Amino acid sequence: MVESRQNILKGTLDMLILKTLSLAPMHGLGISRRIEQITDGVFQVKPGSLFPALHRMEQEGWIEGSWGESENNRRAKFYRLTPAGAARLGEEREGWTHLVSTIGLVLEAS
Amino acid sequence: MPILPLIKGTFKALTRSDELEREMDEELESYLSMVVDEKVQGGMSADDARREALMELGGTEQVKTEVRQSRHGATMDSFVWDLRHALRLMLKTPGFTAVVVLTLALGIGANTALFSTVNAALIRDIPFDEPHRLVAGEKTTDGVPNGSVSRLDYFDLRDAATSFEGLAAYVPHRVTVTGEAAPEVVGLMFATWNLFSVLRVDPVAGRGFLPEDELEGGSSVLISHALWQRRFGGAPGAIGRTVFVDGEPRTVIGVVPAGFRFMNDTDLWVPVERGDFFIDRQRDSHSLRLVGRLAPGATLAQARSEADAISQRLELQYPDSNSGKGFFLDDLQRQMVGDARSSLMLLMATTAMVLLIACGNVAGLLLARSQGRLPEMAMRTALGAPRKRLIRQLMTESILMTLVAGIAGVGLAVLFQRLLLQLLPLGKPGLPEPTLDSTVLIFTVVVSVLAGLAVGVVPAFRATLRQPWEQLKTTSRVSGGRRSTRMRSLLVVTQVAVSVVLLIGSGLLIRTMSQLTAVDLGFDPERLLAGTVGIRGSVYPTPDERSAFFAALMERIEALPGVERASGISKLPIASPSMDWLVWPEGQPKPGYGEGLYALTRFAMPGYFETMGIPILEGRGIEDIDTPDAGRVVVISEAVAEGLFPGRDPIGRHLNLDWHDPYEVVGVVANAQLDGVRADFPEAVYMSSAQAGATSMWLTVRTESDPLLVADPIRDILREMDADVVFSRPRSMTTIVENDLSGLHTVTTALGLLAGIALLLTAIGLYGVLAYHVNQRIGEFGIRIAIGASAGKLLTLVVDRGLRMVGAGLVLGVTLSLFGTRLVQDLLFETDPLDPLTYAAAVAFLGAVGLAACVLPAWRAMHVNPVEVLRKE
Repeated sequence: MVESRQNILKGTLDMLILKTLSLAPMHGLGISRRIEQITDGVFQVKPGSLFPALHRMEQEGWIEGSWGESENNRRAKFYRLTPAGAARLGEEREGWTHLVSTIGLVLEAS
Repeated sequence: MPILPLIKGTFKALTRSDELEREMDEELESYLSMVVDEKVQGGMSADDARREALMELGGTEQVKTEVRQSRHGATMDSFVWDLRHALRLMLKTPGFTAVVVLTLALGIGANTALFSTVNAALIRDIPFDEPHRLVAGEKTTDGVPNGSVSRLDYFDLRDAATSFEGLAAYVPHRVTVTGEAAPEVVGLMFATWNLFSVLRVDPVAGRGFLPEDELEGGSSVLISHALWQRRFGGAPGAIGRTVFVDGEPRTVIGVVPAGFRFMNDTDLWVPVERGDFFIDRQRDSHSLRLVGRLAPGATLAQARSEADAISQRLELQYPDSNSGKGFFLDDLQRQMVGDARSSLMLLMATTAMVLLIACGNVAGLLLARSQGRLPEMAMRTALGAPRKRLIRQLMTESILMTLVAGIAGVGLAVLFQRLLLQLLPLGKPGLPEPTLDSTVLIFTVVVSVLAGLAVGVVPAFRATLRQPWEQLKTTSRVSGGRRSTRMRSLLVVTQVAVSVVLLIGSGLLIRTMSQLTAVDLGFDPERLLAGTVGIRGSVYPTPDERSAFFAALMERIEALPGVERASGISKLPIASPSMDWLVWPEGQPKPGYGEGLYALTRFAMPGYFETMGIPILEGRGIEDIDTPDAGRVVVISEAVAEGLFPGRDPIGRHLNLDWHDPYEVVGVVANAQLDGVRADFPEAVYMSSAQAGATSMWLTVRTESDPLLVADPIRDILREMDADVVFSRPRSMTTIVENDLSGLHTVTTALGLLAGIALLLTAIGLYGVLAYHVNQRIGEFGIRIAIGASAGKLLTLVVDRGLRMVGAGLVLGVTLSLFGTRLVQDLLFETDPLDPLTYAAAVAFLGAVGLAACVLPAWRAMHVNPVEVLRKE
């Protein structure tokens, strides 16, 4: 069942990124740091999974990248949520809630 | 999911991969510098910060690979990369590429050309509406199909059968057309009025036949589109105009669509008249071919059983004429293709085998090259390229090469088609013309890709087989090479085997050809010109006038310089076969159907036998004294004399010929092949053409040198005698005899050519393997020479190896041939498919070629300079 667990994790990462971007447009490092910060360092998003996810989602049309200046005057690629991405976030959230409640039912069964 | 960005992204990934790569580099760089910024702010030195940031990143390359693979079109992307790499490689080694592409292009081209022919004859539909409902019909005798149906039998079948929507009959003929333009001889088809409605072809101008066109005295004619253009300039006013067909005026009622062809090359269609000719009252006078369209829902099997029932009824009703007689119905297309099927299948199989041999050579070349690329592959494996990826790349390389070869092959196919395939027997006119249509092109692409897989798969797996460390630590040359040499030897063995099969196959056909040319024709075809001349019955109404015309013509032709003798005959041997009548001695009852003796019936002019070189054995030939007023005479062939008058002198006796009054036998001549080179029909009777009042004759002119030289002078004479008479299609008798064998001739030539190519490719393959082998063992040979091995010993080493491959291939090939020659059996004539001489010759020939291929590598081995070799080591 390794495969399905990976899928859940992958899906989770997409959801976390989309959620993060729904608050404000952000560059890669910003997203990574934000997730770390919110989850108290439980989730550390490595560039090896962050960038593939960003590029994939950009290709899907959920997020949109454009070049801008970072807070330290560095040139950086900022990502922003598209309407399609917002819709996707809604779906993901629903799916997640459903998953959690289902797993909850299993765990609470006696 | 939004489709547009997805497509855009994929497209971008494919087309703008450079830009994406650059952007990704930038993005990662900015990420890195921001991480460094963070760490420096946290109090780290710039250098330490950068090092740590890089470690956290975990290798830019890995990240980039991950990103690349996560994109849509990633597979396509790497495919594009493979393609570019393969193209670069092809251009980097132009010599290698040229050899591979040319070899395969020849093979693929030949296959494409032949397949286009097979496609036209056997796969594509004949160009008629709902062609699968069309059925061809002929007569059978004792169940064996043997030609035309009698008119009365046709009427009975047509009226009684319910399986047909329509059943038409036709018979081809040749006529002279005059009036309004220069006279010409064209094909004419007598057809029942419904021929075109059965075929569902409508005229492009005017109207088609109606039932009343068949009535006696009708004079309608349909003309071909070509004749319309030629004689009337395509004018619409041609409808209603008159053409003279063998002098008879006929009214043009319509024009058949351009390109319409059915069974014969025909320019005129004339309704079969429902006239009350004596010949039509005879149930045993057979002249018509049938074509029918099955009724909706009816099957060929139903039609067949219905026709069988009808013919059984006719047998009971008319036992004299119909005993043992039946109808044979078959799919029209199958009938049109006829014997061409077996030739085509044979050639297709042969061409496929040649491609196989070509693939063998290319696979050998790729194997040798992949040996040289082992270090490259090992290095890439060590750097983390998965084996699957490398195999895919190598396969891309070989398939790209075969696809390029395929494109070149299509060009070659056009050439092959023009050069050779036009000569192939393609069945009856009306079958689709071979063209390079989409089916053929798909075939070519499939064959190319298959060839690419076939030649690429072994080298690709071999090249990536070894563990990289193993590869990198050895010097590779000797140990790695051996396995690939074994593989290549196996390829050569297969090639030799296939070549033997082809050689034996073409050897058998060559034997057949020589048997056929050795057939005693019974006449001398050398220096003999033949062509037809037809005069109008209306201009020369009496037999006397007709024979006077031909006699005068002969006299003038014989006066031409270079002419030895000239005469004429109603039907030329070989060129115009059939027409056999029942013959029996006078005073005896007429034999029942299928019991008596049938003889080919011919009408000859004086001097015919002398001109043809047919020996007169007894009595005399047809002479000037056999005028219309004199007694009716007949000259019989030896076979008729033996059949009717065994042990008795036939001269002076009388013969009955079907419904004619008795003829007096005045001579016996030697048997001759009248019905075709392969025919077995020596019974013939010759009557006087003057007495028959013939209007159409084949001229036979014996010349001193090239017979074609007198064709134009004869035309001039005819023009002077009667401007409306045409000397049609003059050809030399040797050409006519060759034409009779032409299908076989072309097939034999093509097969011989293919076998030659196969042999050449095999020799090259064998040479390549041996040369490579010697090259690899050059060090060993040097040492052997240094320690005293004689040159002879080295020669034996190399030749022995070569001959072992050839030997194994020969054994395999001969074994295959024992079964494979069944394929050519249909085409053979008095040749045993297991003819030992052919087998021995093929084996000896291939053995000799194999030995020759060993010579150069062996010579090299013998002349290895030990000092040089050892210095290199």
